[in-house]
Amino acid sequence: MNRRSFLAGTACLTASLGAPAVLRAQGSVLKLGVLTPLTGAGSQDGPRMLKAMQAVVDEVNKAGGVLGRQVALIVEDDQTNPEAAVRAAQKLVGVDGVPVIMGTWASAVTSAVAPVCWESKTALMTVSGADSITQLPHQGYIFRTQPTTTLQATKHAEYIASTGAKKVYYLAVQTPFAVPMKDIMANVLSGNGASMVGGLVYEPSKTSYRSEIDRALAAKPDMIYLNSYSPDVTVLLKDLFRAGYTGGRLTQSYAYNTKVAESLPAEVTDGLVNVQPSSDIDSAAFSLAQKRLGLEAPDSYEAQATDWASLALLAIEKAKKATGTDIRDNVRAISQGGGTKVGSAVEGLKLLREGKDVNYDGVSGPCDFNEKGDIIDCRFRYGLAKGAKIELIKVV
Amino acid sequence: MEIYILSISIIACIYAIMALGLNVMWGMAGLVNLGLVGSMAVGAYTSALLTTSAGVSIPLGILAGIVAATLFGAVLCLITSRLKEHYLAIVTLGFAEAIRIVASNEIWLTHGTDGISGIPGPFRGTVTTFQYNLIFLAIVAVIALAVYVFCQRILYSPFGRVLHAIRDDEVVVGVAGKDARVFKVQAFAIGSGIIGLAGALYAHYTSFIAPELFVPLITLYVKLSLLAGGVGNNRGAILGAGLVIIILEGTRFLVPYIPYITPPQGAAIRELLLSAGLLIVLRYRVKGLIPEAHDHLTVRPAVLAEAALRRQPA
Amino acid sequence: MEILQLIANGVMAGSILAVPAIGLTAMYAVLRFPNFAIASHATAGAFAGWTANALFGLPILPSLLVALLVGGLIGLVTDEFVLKPFRKAGFITTAIGSLALTIGLENVVRLFYGNDLRGYDLPLARDIVVAGIHVGPQQLHNIAISVAIMALVFGFLTFTRMGKAMRAVADNPQLADIKGIDARTVGRIVSFMGMGLAGIGGMLIGLDSSIDPMTGFRAMLPIFAAAVVGGLGSVPGAVVGALVVGIAEELSLLALPASYKSSIAFLAILVILTLRPQGILGREGN
Repeated sequence: MNRRSFLAGTACLTASLGAPAVLRAQGSVLKLGVLTPLTGAGSQDGPRMLKAMQAVVDEVNKAGGVLGRQVALIVEDDQTNPEAAVRAAQKLVGVDGVPVIMGTWASAVTSAVAPVCWESKTALMTVSGADSITQLPHQGYIFRTQPTTTLQATKHAEYIASTGAKKVYYLAVQTPFAVPMKDIMANVLSGNGASMVGGLVYEPSKTSYRSEIDRALAAKPDMIYLNSYSPDVTVLLKDLFRAGYTGGRLTQSYAYNTKVAESLPAEVTDGLVNVQPSSDIDSAAFSLAQKRLGLEAPDSYEAQATDWASLALLAIEKAKKATGTDIRDNVRAISQGGGTKVGSAVEGLKLLREGKDVNYDGVSGPCDFNEKGDIIDCRFRYGLAKGAKIELIKVV
Repeated sequence: MEIYILSISIIACIYAIMALGLNVMWGMAGLVNLGLVGSMAVGAYTSALLTTSAGVSIPLGILAGIVAATLFGAVLCLITSRLKEHYLAIVTLGFAEAIRIVASNEIWLTHGTDGISGIPGPFRGTVTTFQYNLIFLAIVAVIALAVYVFCQRILYSPFGRVLHAIRDDEVVVGVAGKDARVFKVQAFAIGSGIIGLAGALYAHYTSFIAPELFVPLITLYVKLSLLAGGVGNNRGAILGAGLVIIILEGTRFLVPYIPYITPPQGAAIRELLLSAGLLIVLRYRVKGLIPEAHDHLTVRPAVLAEAALRRQPA
Repeated sequence: MEILQLIANGVMAGSILAVPAIGLTAMYAVLRFPNFAIASHATAGAFAGWTANALFGLPILPSLLVALLVGGLIGLVTDEFVLKPFRKAGFITTAIGSLALTIGLENVVRLFYGNDLRGYDLPLARDIVVAGIHVGPQQLHNIAISVAIMALVFGFLTFTRMGKAMRAVADNPQLADIKGIDARTVGRIVSFMGMGLAGIGGMLIGLDSSIDPMTGFRAMLPIFAAAVVGGLGSVPGAVVGALVVGIAEELSLLALPASYKSSIAFLAILVILTLRPQGILGREGN
């Protein structure tokens, strides 16, 4: 988010607070909630997601807003801590009355604020990976754009096997999805002519992983799958380089994005493959996001954040009302089905105003949700690290 | 708005209960514990597991949580009884971290980092969210009051006077024929049990717990609550908890008025304000909002006890 | 063989912990409280060193000096204006104050530098293999830096007037006062030195990994574990403690899942303190 847009947002907000109630009823500001880690373990990712959401909101505001109202993001820091996050969510819901909360990152934070959301009939959009989240009794209020463990593990393992790698080692930070993902990958690999030669779940935030790497290399892998976040992956990549490992490395795009690339020497990262959920290769949404964010390769979280803001705004326009229940009931009406395919909120809003049906295909995938709030399917975009750049390999 | 205020008040009451528990071990008996979040975790996990997996009722679950946390406190105190207090600070901090690591790893028991969701709350789901928060606030306020009365009773009981004596000069207590260790273990266990009660209440209020909840930051907030309100003073513990929550939540509303900053910078400034607020409270209320002397018990504040301990050649 | 490699890895990890642990233990010896602010000062030092190295193009050694100066100066100022008033209220109050301070300072760094990861401008070298054990040239370099710093600290404490005064105050403040040693000056110097070492420690950690505003906080508990295991207040103890913690954590991989690693540091504390309540090299009465 740039300074000017933030100021504009704040100015709109303060103006609306100061304006008499009668005036506010008409063209008042539509507030959407953002609850994302700006401090704590997730703080490398929260600001990027926020930037992506703000970019969509700015674009929509410039094109006239939603339901004739300007949109403002009300941002709270979840501190990557479930206790602080619950207090922040209570504030967003209780004081600001937002219809949607977007941006929770840690699975524990999402699980903690989820009851606050469904009890107050507020939609919740998240990247958290724990499969248990969408199994909560959330009455349809949770939308997760992050592919499920099964979908990711299956597709990633198939890709790894297709590269000709035979012996895969799995290194993951301790998360709810670390072990389930390993088991699924091991299965898929062995069905595709490769095998998992070992796996290790390690503790986050250590300053060195030399011994863990030694363990992994003792299994003589030709491909290592790094399932973790950027601070740890940075250390792991350095320690892998030091240990003389020259085989393949695959990691998530949020763990290795262009920002992280800048902090590492090229010889450490060259040849690394990163992966993210994506739409088709010629997706309009992706190229729009590239332009909007000024990034050659927006990563998985930036992609998903773009989609939350777009989905929420389109659902509100479709419902002609802006409550959490309206968003819940209309997300599927604008994201899947037979409507005109659109890749941006502005485009979709225009069609909706003309009374046409739309089908939003986002940056992170087609954004078609099942009844639990998980995405049904998506493709995966593989990128190759070359210097500080990430070059597209393919989308499958 | 009403639900937000109710919810924040509930959290404040839970902090107050923890501060009261800490006061029994630290304020009354002078026992250092930087790992009270470990007791909170034990209470929360016990009650959460029993009510979700074993079909135990909420009151029984909470009771079991208290018992488990009490036992945990007794064991921790026995293990560390030989240690000097400066070391205790680090050891107890480490112990709480170890609890968190165990809760993350022993998935068969604790569901690991997935956490436990769907922990029942009284009447949750059958009443509106507003009513639920109102009911819970009433329950938690009554419990906080009961704990306060209980702690006042301890303070003025013969038991409490022995604790004070231990805090001020352990050697004298030994000379008087009392086994100081027994009293210390009891004080630590009672304090730990009260903190466990707070943990169980938190679990039933929010319906979800996970290892990541039980971080040293909560210990810091509770410690600061007691320091701000006055160590050794039960009313101060409650007042201090309220003050800490006001600082925690109040900073949220100040930040949007600061111009020319991005939200990540705003988050940094909020934490900065929080830190400054807590330091200022600590600095200008080192003896607490309500100094202990007002309780008509002629005991020296904990700070003097510390000084006395430090002077002693061991 | 794996055991030897694990021990080597532990020594590499421990030697980096040793530098801030010395700072912590020296401050404890004189000022008598566990200073949790060491976390944020390590971060501040790491960022100061990064600014000198990556922005101004200074080599690593002069950048380490910048980390020392900035860490030390912030330590001096914050101790004088924030922590000192707490000291007469007792060690726990001061320790809690230092925890609150560390949150504040971490966020000053965040305010100016943001959350993004940053790496030093330093080419990475592959490990070399010595007698079947592989070690990193950068890690050997770090060990050399740590050893040099330890030697300097020992020399300072043993041979200089101020070093002797510092030990005198640590041993017996009242007696030192009678002898005309100004405890306040000694306190200031130890704050500068201790936090300067924390700053260097932060940068050494960053050279191995990368830095962000949480760098110091992540390392705080192992640093404390090192100082406590070795005996609070003992400078050689801090070195021994750092090696014990470093090696114990790596060796734990033989018996436990890697996700239990840091609980081993606490187990080490508990075992050693149960056998020797004052820590390995700590003296009775400390």
